[in-house]
Amino acid sequence: MKSARLYNDFKALLFTLPALVPLVLFWFFPLAYVIYLSFMEWDFMSPEKLFVGFQNYRDLFENPDFYDSLRVTVLFCLGSVIPIIVAGLLLALLLNQRLRGGAVYRTLMFSPWVTPTVAVSIVWSWIYEPDVGLANNMLQAVGIEGVRWLEDPNWALVGVLLVTIWKSAGWSMIFYLVAIHNVPSDLLEAAELDGADRWRKFINVTLPLISPTTFFLIIVQTIQALQAYDQINVLTQGGPAGSTRTLLYLYYQSAFTSFQIGEASSIAITLIFGCVLLSLLSFFMGRRTVHYT
Amino acid sequence: MHLWRNLGTLARHVTLAAAAILMAFPFYWMASSALKTNDEIWQFPPTFWPQTPLWGNFAEAWAEAPFTRYLLNSVFVAGAIVVIQIINSGMMAYALTHMKFRLKGLFTSAILIGYMVPATATYLPSYVILGELHLLNSYGGLILSNGVSVFSIFLVRQAFLQVSHELVEAGKMDGASHFRILWTILIPLTRSSFAVLALITFIEQYNNYFWPMLITKDPNLQLVSAGLRSFFVEGGAYGLKWPLIMAASAMTIAPLIVLFVFTQKTIIRSVNLSAGASKG
Repeated sequence: MKSARLYNDFKALLFTLPALVPLVLFWFFPLAYVIYLSFMEWDFMSPEKLFVGFQNYRDLFENPDFYDSLRVTVLFCLGSVIPIIVAGLLLALLLNQRLRGGAVYRTLMFSPWVTPTVAVSIVWSWIYEPDVGLANNMLQAVGIEGVRWLEDPNWALVGVLLVTIWKSAGWSMIFYLVAIHNVPSDLLEAAELDGADRWRKFINVTLPLISPTTFFLIIVQTIQALQAYDQINVLTQGGPAGSTRTLLYLYYQSAFTSFQIGEASSIAITLIFGCVLLSLLSFFMGRRTVHYT
Repeated sequence: MHLWRNLGTLARHVTLAAAAILMAFPFYWMASSALKTNDEIWQFPPTFWPQTPLWGNFAEAWAEAPFTRYLLNSVFVAGAIVVIQIINSGMMAYALTHMKFRLKGLFTSAILIGYMVPATATYLPSYVILGELHLLNSYGGLILSNGVSVFSIFLVRQAFLQVSHELVEAGKMDGASHFRILWTILIPLTRSSFAVLALITFIEQYNNYFWPMLITKDPNLQLVSAGLRSFFVEGGAYGLKWPLIMAASAMTIAPLIVLFVFTQKTIIRSVNLSAGASKG
């Protein structure tokens, strides 16, 4: 009996091994390793790592760059997540009714999501070109003076955010299309019989019923925003004057340009902490919101 | 009444068309800028479509940097990762859903925890590990370090959970091995999940930039995004050769647009799946 159990364990091990090896090597071990590194002082090159206790964290929490990037991160999250979700919902509501050409609209609006961020960011940096770029030209056509999009600390973040929103709005639209489609029509009809107009039906029936989707999108998009790198790297590289340097970008710079491994690791831990907190929140809130249908 | 309805539909069409044009316009602008001369591109006001389209710009951009190499690298690496991820997430998901073994609960929760960790935060330690394994600057490192995805395992697990246990039990009664059950019962029934998985993994890996850029400095090994970015910074000398840069960007984006047009039903179905997966 005991050997049968061992045999089962062995068979299961065979099935899990192909995923387990890379998972341990590049996922679980790095997690433990980054915690370890965050207590060390190291520069990649020197053979010795120096144990410094909580010094990296103390330095980080006293570093004004950290608070600046924290502020940029919060702005980046709010400034990308809210518009992506609102735009996605609005587009889905417009597309929801049967409409000739609906599939064409849907394809066009979803297409930015499929394309490489680096390539489309390069295209946007041409659109943002201050002298002859499309953005300033169009503004000028309606009588607004253009700005030096990516060189002005007041506008650079807006520029990066616009690309981010443009890329993901279609994606959240698709999620809302599915969610709205799944709203039971008898509930809407019942509301209609009770004399609800379109607006009331939307507020009282549709919106609560698609709230799990909204919640899911908020969490996924926030985690995406916390990890945004490609568009920042192409458009601004964290500049000008740190105005687009998010926590992730600060982490990247301190690890791979100034080689302060300890400091970088402590930023990584902060990031991981934030993401895990968000995921747990979504998990528990999700439990509550999903079940009330 | 009829008139109002027609007007409503019209307004809807106008809004949607405006939104769709706005979303697709950067692609049009890229294509038209790619065909202009260096003089025309600096003209004010800009021309909507070049006076004489210079199709030669594409060939010129293609010749200025090893784009063939970059593209082949991306397709090869992304393809290899798709195959590996499909195999290992299928097997892992099978073990988690249809096998009995100790530590199964631990495995499942480890996957869940892995799902919460931002991959980018592990790039620094993974870089050090890859260096220790002497896998920096190699296809091996590129493929192995992307060879597993917690999301894929999660998605396949979700699909396997929907397959009725009776079918699997019947297979076991007939004395079929685990491999046989996986191969002849589960995979055929969840084919569409695998198709979705293959497609989104391919797109993700083709577009991947941050991690591959960190671990491959050798231009011969660069993927297309990193190659394009170095062409933008060096070859294009930051905006002096916009038409060529736009031509290069267009060539990078084109394969994906083509793929998307032919597979959009499947890609859009992925939304249903990941929305389902999110409900745990």
